[in-house]
Amino acid sequence: MSDFAIIGKPVALIDSAGKTTGQGKYTDDLSMPGMLIGKILHSPLPHARIKRINPTKAVKLEGVVSVVVGTDAPNKYGILPVGHDETALAVDKVRYVGDNVACVVATSESIAEQALELIDVEYEPLPAYFDPEEAMKAESDLIHDHRPHNIEKEYHHVFGDPGAGFAQADAIVEGRYVAGEVTHAAMEPHSTLAYFELDALTGEEGRLVVQSSTQVPYYLQHKLSIVLDKPMAQIRVIKPLVGGGFGGKSEIIPLEIIAAVAARKAKAPVKITYTREEVFWAHRGRPRTIIDLKTGVKRDGSLTAVAAKVIQDGGAYCSYGVVTILYSGALLGALYDIPNIQYDGFRVLTNKPACGAMRGHGTVNVRFAFESQLDELALKIGMDPYDIRKRNLLKPPCVTVNGLRVQSYGLPECIEKVVKASDWAARRAEYKQKYNGTVRRGLGLACSHYVSGAANSIIRSDMPHSTVNIKIERDGGVVVYTGASDIGQGSDTMVAQIAAEVLGCTLGRIKVIAADTDLTPVDIGSYSSRVTFMNGNATMRAAEDAKKKIIAAAARKMQCFEADVLMRDDWVWKQGTKPPWERTTTAGIAEVSGHVDGQVLRGSLQQKRKDEGPKDFMTFEEAAVSAMDFAGAVSGTGAYAPPKDARGGGHKGGGVGPSPAYSYSAQVVDAGVDTETGEVTVHKVWAAHDCGRALNPVAVEGQVIGSVWMGLGQALQEEFVWKDGLLMNPGMLEYKSPSAVESPEVVTFIVESIDPEGPFGAKEASEGSLAAVIPAVANAIFDATGMRLRESPFTPERVLSGIRKVMGLKKINMTNDVDPTEPHTLREHGGSLWFKGKGPQRHEMDPARKPALSREQ
Amino acid sequence: MSLPSFKLLRPRNVEDALGFLHRYEKEGVQICAGGTDLLPSMKQRLFSPAYVMDIRGIEELTHIRVVPGLGVELGSLVKLSAIEDSGFIATHYPVLREAVMTVASPILRNMGTLGGNLCLDTRCLWYNQSLQWRKSCGYCIKKDGDLCHVAPGGKVCWAVFSGDSAAALLCLHAEIEIASPKGRRRIPLADLYTNIGDDRMRLGKSEILTRIFLPEASAGYSGVYRKLRLRGSIDYPLAGVAVAIRKKGKIIDDARVAITGVNPAPRLVKDATHALIGREMNEHAAMVVGELAARVAKPLTTSLLTPEYRREMIKVFAKQSASRATPSGPSIRD
Repeated sequence: MSDFAIIGKPVALIDSAGKTTGQGKYTDDLSMPGMLIGKILHSPLPHARIKRINPTKAVKLEGVVSVVVGTDAPNKYGILPVGHDETALAVDKVRYVGDNVACVVATSESIAEQALELIDVEYEPLPAYFDPEEAMKAESDLIHDHRPHNIEKEYHHVFGDPGAGFAQADAIVEGRYVAGEVTHAAMEPHSTLAYFELDALTGEEGRLVVQSSTQVPYYLQHKLSIVLDKPMAQIRVIKPLVGGGFGGKSEIIPLEIIAAVAARKAKAPVKITYTREEVFWAHRGRPRTIIDLKTGVKRDGSLTAVAAKVIQDGGAYCSYGVVTILYSGALLGALYDIPNIQYDGFRVLTNKPACGAMRGHGTVNVRFAFESQLDELALKIGMDPYDIRKRNLLKPPCVTVNGLRVQSYGLPECIEKVVKASDWAARRAEYKQKYNGTVRRGLGLACSHYVSGAANSIIRSDMPHSTVNIKIERDGGVVVYTGASDIGQGSDTMVAQIAAEVLGCTLGRIKVIAADTDLTPVDIGSYSSRVTFMNGNATMRAAEDAKKKIIAAAARKMQCFEADVLMRDDWVWKQGTKPPWERTTTAGIAEVSGHVDGQVLRGSLQQKRKDEGPKDFMTFEEAAVSAMDFAGAVSGTGAYAPPKDARGGGHKGGGVGPSPAYSYSAQVVDAGVDTETGEVTVHKVWAAHDCGRALNPVAVEGQVIGSVWMGLGQALQEEFVWKDGLLMNPGMLEYKSPSAVESPEVVTFIVESIDPEGPFGAKEASEGSLAAVIPAVANAIFDATGMRLRESPFTPERVLSGIRKVMGLKKINMTNDVDPTEPHTLREHGGSLWFKGKGPQRHEMDPARKPALSREQ
Repeated sequence: MSLPSFKLLRPRNVEDALGFLHRYEKEGVQICAGGTDLLPSMKQRLFSPAYVMDIRGIEELTHIRVVPGLGVELGSLVKLSAIEDSGFIATHYPVLREAVMTVASPILRNMGTLGGNLCLDTRCLWYNQSLQWRKSCGYCIKKDGDLCHVAPGGKVCWAVFSGDSAAALLCLHAEIEIASPKGRRRIPLADLYTNIGDDRMRLGKSEILTRIFLPEASAGYSGVYRKLRLRGSIDYPLAGVAVAIRKKGKIIDDARVAITGVNPAPRLVKDATHALIGREMNEHAAMVVGELAARVAKPLTTSLLTPEYRREMIKVFAKQSASRATPSGPSIRD
């Protein structure tokens, strides 16, 4: 018998049947009588003042009900309290190509689309900024008036004594790394359905109901309240099934607010579903990042200091930007033992779609730079990449130099597992010996980590981050009310497993009601991998609370101490007696099942049980009914707030980075590089992830494989291609999310470090494994070819250009003047947006009006 | 995005189809075979025809027929997956199968037809975008505008022909049958294409591509198709090279090289044939083929990858494919 009945067993996600058969409903599957369709008009200019919007012609089109514009809802909002810089629709300015200008509400999608063409908007173009380093030089025509030099936020952190640290170093490597911009590309495009109930007394506008594809129903409720000037209690947000978020739905997306404003103006239910192109414009993905990184080591491989200057090309609005730039610095720590850290972070505004949170929030691009540089340092001091990582491990429990508390730390085991499984040393040596035609093979190793939820919520307070309620029903059914948002990651199943394990009942008894602000207590949302840790702990406490009442009743029935009551697999029995399933006879059970002739006849059963006398075991159902007999209502409630000592240092910006626990990952990538074409093929990835305890191993494995594949997309092929603020690839055809063909076998190892504070010891499993794979690929490419790429993604043109450079072949400018081995700036697409006065009316200072690059062949 | 409204025509035979084309010529008829490329383009408002003629019901154009002594006749509505599954094509015209298997994804090949792949609209990153997007760049000369974004100041459209199967068929010296109100004519496939991005085919408004012929003389050539793309599936070619070679002993008896994905038309690299016939395949010969192919390629900034890289890949692919298509040649790849 294992320790647990349900925890640690592979369990199919409890909502999988609905998803696989089509019975499950996502937001766009919903409709209502009288529902109208909303379509949004987007800006064709990157930066312009709106002089006039005239919707008259559009309103007159048959089938159009109303046209919503910015002045209909001018209140500002934003996900962060420090970043309230968005309005539902542009009020005075548009700030990127794709910014939201107006919304048509009509009886059909095609009528709404026709009406969009009839809205007359007059713009006054303004100079636009597309390169963050250029944007920072701006003195006038700022993107937001309150942000001088277009800098959303800058931080300058010094921990320890970096100067002294570098002075102690025997080897220092310094370099610029550039990571391209990527987006979540969740399968389900954003969709929102909003309507108002009528007030029973006045017949006027009553409560607002919003069903939306979101990771954060409670934040949405809060922001709707701000924009619509309506108390939160008058707003109900319901999260239907969500087809993936990855951070792209972890804040308020314009359509969610616009749908509600439109429903108010049109006095009818309004649904808006983004086209894929609109999903790209809504974006909130990982920003293009410039990382100037300097690291020092001693001859024995130990790190002495790290200095990082990070510039993030954040797009036109704050979004989560302040948090992103802080994570980039804070999570330099908590992976390795680094005594001295200097961090200068700049979150910069540019005239492009807003970047936000994306899987591995803030850590991924810096991790690419750091783990690449670690290999460069290892080479410089003649050390194996494996040894240098082993040399710099933390010794937990500890608090890092930048105030991060580390308790459980499975990184050493993760590294050992993948190094052993990949046969690291022998395989590397073998690949050096033989190669096949033009293809070179190599191995790369890298590590990463991630928080199990932020120890401080966006709004700092001592309130719980998660609360869960449990109701026990009369036939022993268990209803768990949780605010946790299942976005496909499986939180409903996690909640059900924990409740069932604690209560000693089977999973079939558990019904999870989740993410409905009217029904479920607050959970701040599915982001920063907080749900298993925080909502899991709250669920555990709620279940224990309910269990106490059941145990009290059972103890009374069985005439024993409460401490002697055991519950498991729907059975309740007395400690020291045989578990019921080991008994030869369980006579008497059927009669007290609570059903007589198909009906629950509580009174008569009660009578019957009274006559039975003491017993030493009973069913869960019987125990639950007894509890109601004795105590009346049986319910439980539990909450979780991170402990104070996990909340980090007091420095400015020190609230971001601290977490009650960190997950760890180590990976080895086996890649082949064609030296004539630059094509990189990843053959296999060995990935070990320390998730504390795998509550559901099959779900953990799925998350790790998913993280690796998503990371491989960023490593090899996914990037936003820009030309003068125009996104050249806003669709799934040209934005190259990997297909099944390029997604290789991932050999996963689950490492269980049993965190002292996690529910059953569990930590996060869904994000920490993404970051390692990118530098692991870079390191494998170096191992194969001797060529160090410092610009991602490693597309074949970049790889080939680097290989030709190290091979000393004639230079062909195949990467638009940016050398991927020494990138100095961000790349633009080679075409020409504007030519001699033709093309869109851009401001004369707009970069698009610089002379076009000559490309005579 | 919704489809623009149109009237649907569904002919059951070629004569009816020609009748529809004639009757509604003034209003405009867009022929739709598999629809895999056309429907997204219609949603992007690249086409807003008054009539869409769905020709899938024309049974006579759905067959692969072997005509002894002449070769193989393929109806223009033969599904790409049917070619993939044909043992006869695999044995006798391997280059065609290889090219067809790289088109899009298995699901799209179940819908897409050979005729559709040959008549594929030319593509450009500045053109295959939504109406809203194109507004943001001032449109282009191929659709709704007077500007070229890849050749600033130019008056010619450089949108790229992006079919895979055409390169293989050029290597096989395929011919096509075009039905028109005046009757049916047969022309070399190469003559279908104009090499002009916004007027890509010599196919009249009242004409339909009905059949593709593979000459028996082209059977038995060993063949290779290589395609440049960022994903292993789904993507259109950013450069493609087809090579078909026949040998007598060690000596190359005939060789054909064609490229696609880099010009407004698929192109035969005629000089490659002259360079190879009568020689043995070796590294030098393969390199010459690469150079010659790259000379025909005129890639511009129509795609995500740079023109310089795509041109280099034409060179490398042609070199590698020439070797691979010559079984006893030096193994440069694999």
